[in-house]
Parts: sequence; structure tokens; C-alpha cells
Amino acid sequence: MLNRKTLIIVKSEFMRRVTSKKFIILTLLGPLLFVVFMSSVVLIGATTLDGDSRTIALVDETGVLSDRVQALWTSRHTLVEADAGTVRQDVMDGRYDGYVLLPAAMIDDPSIRPQYFAGEGGGMSIEGMLERRVERALEDYLLARQNVSPTVREILDRSVNVEAVRLSSEGEEAGSTMSYSAIGFMMGMLMYIAMLIYGTVVMYGAIEEKSTRVVEVMVSSVRPLDLLMGKVLGIGGMGVLQMFIWALMIFAVLTFSGTVASFFMDPAALDASTTASSDDLLSAAGISMPSLSPVFFLWFVLYFLGGYLLYSGLFAAVGILVESPQDAQSLMIPVILPIVLSIMFIGPVNDSPHSTLSVVLSMVPLTSPVAMSVRMAVTNLPWWEILLSFSLLFGGFLGSMLLSSKIYRIGLLMYGKKVTLADVVRWFRYS
Amino acid sequence: MAVLEVRRATKRYGRITAAAAVSFKAHPGRILGFLGPNGAGKTTTIRMIAHITAPDEGEVLFEGRPVGAWSQQQMGYLPEERGLYKKLKVAEQLRYLAQLKGVSAADSQSRITYWLDRMGLAKWATSKTQDLSKGMQQKMQFIATVLAEPRLLILDEPFSGLDPVNSELLRTIIAELKNKGCTILFASHRMEQVEQLCDDICLVAKGKVVLGGSLRDVKRRYRRDKLALEFEGEAPGFRDIMMSGAVKLLEHKDEKYVLKLSSDADAMAILDHLRASPGVNLLRFELLEPTMTEIFIKTVGAAA
Repeated sequence: MLNRKTLIIVKSEFMRRVTSKKFIILTLLGPLLFVVFMSSVVLIGATTLDGDSRTIALVDETGVLSDRVQALWTSRHTLVEADAGTVRQDVMDGRYDGYVLLPAAMIDDPSIRPQYFAGEGGGMSIEGMLERRVERALEDYLLARQNVSPTVREILDRSVNVEAVRLSSEGEEAGSTMSYSAIGFMMGMLMYIAMLIYGTVVMYGAIEEKSTRVVEVMVSSVRPLDLLMGKVLGIGGMGVLQMFIWALMIFAVLTFSGTVASFFMDPAALDASTTASSDDLLSAAGISMPSLSPVFFLWFVLYFLGGYLLYSGLFAAVGILVESPQDAQSLMIPVILPIVLSIMFIGPVNDSPHSTLSVVLSMVPLTSPVAMSVRMAVTNLPWWEILLSFSLLFGGFLGSMLLSSKIYRIGLLMYGKKVTLADVVRWFRYS
Repeated sequence: MAVLEVRRATKRYGRITAAAAVSFKAHPGRILGFLGPNGAGKTTTIRMIAHITAPDEGEVLFEGRPVGAWSQQQMGYLPEERGLYKKLKVAEQLRYLAQLKGVSAADSQSRITYWLDRMGLAKWATSKTQDLSKGMQQKMQFIATVLAEPRLLILDEPFSGLDPVNSELLRTIIAELKNKGCTILFASHRMEQVEQLCDDICLVAKGKVVLGGSLRDVKRRYRRDKLALEFEGEAPGFRDIMMSGAVKLLEHKDEKYVLKLSSDADAMAILDHLRASPGVNLLRFELLEPTMTEIFIKTVGAAA
């Protein structure tokens, strides 16, 4: 499949891209832009939703909970006692942002619920915080009323934090399932983005060759299949190089990741002191940075290559049928659909990596790169499953190349007529 | 032996037959004019020769063997619709296209330098292709076609978009390549260029070859039915001829005339009559050979 001419094309496609200013800038600034984008989303969220501190009025009809709630109060929001008669008007006038009503009957009747009144939504975080504080205060009062001994109170206060340890053939590895599933999500999304972006680059390359008509010059020297393979492999090489550089940058950054992560956490919310170090914070939140084995990254790259090769052939076929990117839209749908489908299933696959759905998605070549990235990040898979899935992916790649090169051969000299999906189907039926 | 032989090559697209049993030969050191109206099947035939598409029936032989990837290395093809990678630099692009034709990096370097210089593009070597004017890109594409020193050169409308100076340069280069033994297939609508350059012609219409052979033979097949006259003085004899119905006036300027002979007119009788008439100083009497344009229109019109 790889002859001398294909290699010349691979080299040219690769070199002309990695030496372009666009590539250099994007590769160096890409991660920075990503971090800036993500942090601004987090920061904007933090400042607009919870950033302001609110004043909440407390109307205690029980007469016994107020002091206890106040004692438990640790939040940037302020809690003040208020008079039942005027509080409603005060909230309307904007003196308070909202008020909590603790009805007297709630002490003995569990069906009577405290109420939180606020002008605007108030936010789930305030409701949740109030709920926990009031619950603790009520519990404290009820236990005190029963003269429960301090020892028993201590027993009741005990909390347990499960430490998740992932078992693997190499031994035990401490880390939480939460961080593994975060990694799973991330790897799945990364795979999706990588296949889509580099596949689109291939498509634009094909559109360029078609629209500038250089394709006719090219096929007077090389076979259409060589041209297709050269383009796909050259751009794939660029993708691998780019990801390798990014991986190096990420490893460098990971050294400081704890500090970065702790920056976004509220010490109070984790019952840790405000002077806690970043490591303390992370362990208090039950997060330890999971370490993924180099073998995982090797498989990730292999699956990227497999998935990329499979999809990029199809993207190239779409590109060669049209003369401008606008015309590509409708033809792209059948190519994009399975990729989108596979990210829709990231959640379910992440939650139960050994379910039938997960296994099926891992075997179908169109969805396996994303599904396997998630599964291999969150769990250990039997080697035969990986090998079978990867062999099927390789088979899928060959099938896609066969299909694409046929479309390529017919499509590359078709001008003036807008090709539809029905036309493509007809080509295959009549040949 | 013919370098190129097309044998009953047929190509169909659905119900349309773009080329129907096309046959012709091209010989080394000669330029074959490949002519035909739009949609006659010229491009289809050229693509079969260049092994871009394969004939449904018949075959295309290059140096006696069916064309294939091997013969692509020996051919240079300048398509009518030009195309180059816009962002690649001029020399880089030429090197790339030459390598794909099997030229080594070392060889391509010296050839690129020679041709860029010859075409007046030397100072553009490191510019991006898209920064060149259309005419310069035309010349660059021509360079790309000849870099691999092909034995068969397929030139589809090579002069389109070139100014007179560059056209003349290109004509000189084509003549040089021909003298070096290169076989040239020259497709064009411009009959004056065909007449100027071609040794042989092949005229296709509606997918079929309707006329072929050496330019001279083809022209001989057509009667010289135009008469150019120039004379001084009163010419009562000339008036007689005009009145006789044997000729029709086509052009007239001062004392120069171009006349069309009717099918039964005898040119020699006209000459005798003029010479015999008193007071006529005959300066020119020439039976003009038919132009390619006339032959083209006559033949294609008959085929339609």
C-alpha cells in the first residue's frame, strides 16, 4: 500500500503543514488557549453564580434552633435573625436576599418542612447549605433533649470516607473513581476532538485539490489511492506530532496540577481549614491525581491513529466530491453521525465500562476509539478484548479506505454538478 | 514506430459515449494537433492517454505497451484547467511535482533553476505560488509539465492566458522540444496556432475521429477554391469575370481582391482571360489553400 510516490506525498503534506506559521502558533498556544478558555468558564461561573455574598434572614419559630444554626454557620453568606412580621417586606425591599422560616412544628413532625424564600432563585448551593446546617442543628437539639451522652454523640458524628483503590495486574493503585471517571471523560472527548479536527483538515485538503484543479495534475503522476493515502498519512503524522508536543506540555504542567486544582476549591466546603495546603485540600476532597500507565497512552495513540485513519478517508471522500466547504455540509452528516453518537455514550460507558453497550461500542470500528479511550482510562480490560477491538478497527480502516478510494477516483474529475448522497450510492450499485 | 497509438478507445459515462472507438497515432519529433469542438471527447481521450481514466473498450499503447503507471512517468500533461497548490513556494512545488514523476532531487534542482531562468521566473523561486500573476502561473505550470523531460507532451490549450511575448517564447520552446525528438499532442481551438505548429492533425467530433493525417495531406484533400488577385490599371477583363458568375467577391481593399471560385469555375481560364485583357498589369494571382478554420467548420458541420 505504501510505495515510493505515496511516501513523497506523505512527506510533502506533512512538511508543508508543520512548517506553516499556523501550525507552530496553534501548537504552542493551543493548550494555553484551552486553559484560558476553561478557567474563564470556571471563573465566570464562580463569580456570577456564587461570587457575591448574600445576607439571609432567619426566622426561628421553634426558639431552639437559631443559636445552633448560627454556631454551625461557615459560609461567605451572612445569616442574621429577623422578625417574622417584617421580614417579608424587608426581602422585597432588598434588605435581605432571602429568608429561612423554621416552623415550630418541624421539631416533632418530620413532614413539616423549613422553607426558604428568596426574590430570585437563590441557587442550589444556598439551599443545600441551609439544609445541611438545619439538619445538624435539629439533630443536635433532639439528641440533647433525650440526654444522649457525649460518647454516643461522638459515635453519631463519625463519618467515613471511602478510599477507592483501583486493582490492576501491576498492583494496587490509590485514587478515586471520581478522578478516574473524570479522566475517562477527558480521554473520550480528546479522542473525539482529535478525530474530528484532523479529519476535517484532510477534508479541506481534498477540497483544495479539487477546487484548484491541481488534482488532475496529481493523478497524471500518481494513482488516486496513493494521493488519498499520502494526504491521510501526512496529516495524521502532523496530528501525532502535535499531540506529542501537547503531551509533553501537559506532563510539565501536571507537576503543578495540585496547586492549580486547589485554586478552584473552596476550603470551607470541604470542612478543611483555610490554611490547608493544596495536597491537604485535594485529599480532603477525596482526589488524588490518578496515574495512567504509559501503556494506556500507547493504546490511546494507536486508537487515535486507527480512528483517524478510518474517518479521515471518509472525510477525504466527502472533500473530493465538492468544490467548496459549504457544499460539504450535507455530505458530512453520515460521516459525523457515528462520531457524535460515540460521544453521546461517553457517560454510560464511563459509568459501567463492562456493560453490553460498552462492549458493543468498543467492537464497532466507528465508535471504538472513543469508547475504548474511556474504558481503558476507568478500568482494566482483558487483553483479548483490546486486541479484538483493535483488529476490528484496523479492518474498518481498510474497508473505509476501499470505499473512500473508489469515491475519490470517481469524484475527483467531476465538476459543475453537485453530488448528492444518492449519486454516491448509485455509483456503488452500478459498478 | 508511433510513440503513441490509440486503438478504438471507447469511454462511456452512463448513457453518454464520450469517446467512440477513437483511433490515431502520434510520432516522435512531430506535433499532432488534436482538434474538435467543445464536448467532442478531447479531454476524455487525453485522460485515457494519461492513464487517469481507463477506456471501456479498445486500448492506448505507449511505445507499444498498454499505458499504466509506468507510462505516466514518461508523459507530461498540461491540463486545460490549470491547477497548482496555492500555498506552496514556486521551486518547492516544482520539485514536488518533478519527484512524483520520478526525477531525483539533485536533477530536479538544476532543471528547476534552468527553466525558471528560461521563463523569466528566477526571482520568484521562493515566492508562494498564489503571489504569482495568472500568466506567471501558466508558465510555472508549463515548467512542471516539462521538468521530467517527458517523451510525450500533452498540451491542452497551452497558449491561453499568455501575452504575445510569452506566447512566442512558448512557441520557441515547443519547437525546441520537438526537434529534440519529443512527441507532442497539442489540443487547441485556435486554428492559426494549429496551422503554425502542427505537423499532423486529428479532428474529433461527437466522440469520433472525423479527419486525420498530416496537415499538408489534409489540406490537399480540399480544393483551392479561393483566389487572391492584385492588379493595376483599368480592368475590363476583371469586370467580365465578375459578371460571369464563376466567382463571388469575398474581400476587397484598394486593388486587392479575394474571390471565391464557384464549383465549376476554371481558375486557369480566369488567368488567361485577365492576361489577355488589355491595360491590366497583374501583380498577384494566387489560389489560396483552405485554412484550418475553414476545414474545421466544414468537417465538423458535416459531422453534426
